[in-house]
Amino acid sequence: MTTLHRPAAPTAYGSARLLAGATHGVRADLAAHRAVHGAQQHRTRATLVEETGAVRLLGRGGAAFPVSTKLAGMPTGSSVEVVVNGSESEPASRKDRTLMTLVPHLVVDGALVVARALRTRRVTIAVHDTAAHASLTLALEERRGSEPHPERVSVRLQPARFVSGEVRAVLRGLDGRPAVPPGHRVLPTRHGLGGAPTFASNVETFAQIAVLVSLGARRYAEVGDRAEPGTTLVTLLGDVPAPGVAEVPTGLPLDALLPAAGGPVLVGGYHGHWVADARGLRVTRPSLREAGVPLNAGVVARLPESGCALAEVAAVAGWLARQSAGQCGPCLFGTAAVARDVSTLLYGRPAPDVSARLHGLVRRGACAHPDGTAAFVASALTTMTAELDAHVDRGGCGRPYLAVLPLDDGVR
Amino acid sequence: MRIEVDWTRCDGHGLCALLLAENLGSDPDGYPVVHDTAVARDSVRHARRAVAACPALALRLVRD
Repeated sequence: MTTLHRPAAPTAYGSARLLAGATHGVRADLAAHRAVHGAQQHRTRATLVEETGAVRLLGRGGAAFPVSTKLAGMPTGSSVEVVVNGSESEPASRKDRTLMTLVPHLVVDGALVVARALRTRRVTIAVHDTAAHASLTLALEERRGSEPHPERVSVRLQPARFVSGEVRAVLRGLDGRPAVPPGHRVLPTRHGLGGAPTFASNVETFAQIAVLVSLGARRYAEVGDRAEPGTTLVTLLGDVPAPGVAEVPTGLPLDALLPAAGGPVLVGGYHGHWVADARGLRVTRPSLREAGVPLNAGVVARLPESGCALAEVAAVAGWLARQSAGQCGPCLFGTAAVARDVSTLLYGRPAPDVSARLHGLVRRGACAHPDGTAAFVASALTTMTAELDAHVDRGGCGRPYLAVLPLDDGVR
Repeated sequence: MRIEVDWTRCDGHGLCALLLAENLGSDPDGYPVVHDTAVARDSVRHARRAVAACPALALRLVRD
């Protein structure tokens, strides 16, 4: 059988904006892109700060930092760097790859808006994926003839690893150093690529900026929740009506994306949290953060009741342990110990030290990997109590491991 | 003053937990457990000694 490495066609709930014209899964070339979004526009930094502030645009990578604040704090000038983080190193997330492969011009538009606003010509798009690299390279080629721009945009393919998707690790990788997070606090806006002040953000953030500039703040905010207007991309997987990437208006009840009943729900991906069900949760970064289940990069999964939930958790916990860069002892040893504990529970034996080990991961690393791993496992253990009882009391739940949550290193 | 561990440098030698027991303990693997990052005025001398003793240069004392 031939394997097509093309993402499944994404879904839009309500009207598509980022994915307008691309919901059939066909890449929008420059002409198609211009037909939907109009000509490339530009803004001064002051105007861009004002507009991103008016729509409360938050970074779409995971940290959800306000874009206007980041923009306002940047110096301007030719030494400033703009970095589009397209690493999307979480295997369950597809949204950034979908944007880069289907609507690459939207991402480029957004990067050029930011570069022009910061009065620099230096733009770098870092990707971990060959399909995204090809699509973006083609996009720049398409522009060369018909829409020349003074900015130098380079698309750089970087080695993939979970922790090397963290923005500071991406910047170090681009500088030719090991792509791991630094041990001391550095702000990319002060000391980023090549030591220069760097505006770095996630692919979707730049695509949202392009949509915002094309629609204007007022029309942008006509859709979605007041706390975070507009749309957002999520990647849905498991027991859901439409698996894959979806563009949804913010404020949508999370239940609308999931079947009425089913297994536990994972919000926020492999550094996210498990909840027994999604009742009362709405898709906005501020409200989900307040509910203690941050959206992070937008992965939402519901496990089917026909499969073993604990086996899914054990598989991901093992994967997370293998993703430790090995820089920080508490993470290297702690994530491995936690993964062993989850396997011990899976095979029906008690793991008395698991709480202490989870606690030992909190705020004890150079990046959020140990904390994220602890959140994922701890919330699983508190959510899946019936499942745990079945394993510890009876040696198993009798349901098979369905590998709903993907792992990309081939180890199951 | 505040105590900070650079986890990428720390090799778990464990000296800091002995010299600055007011703020630090150790986990079963020998890595420090920071009970409190804020260093009391009376402990600053101990903190400086712990920073100087760290063979991996992983401990820092920083002004708030």
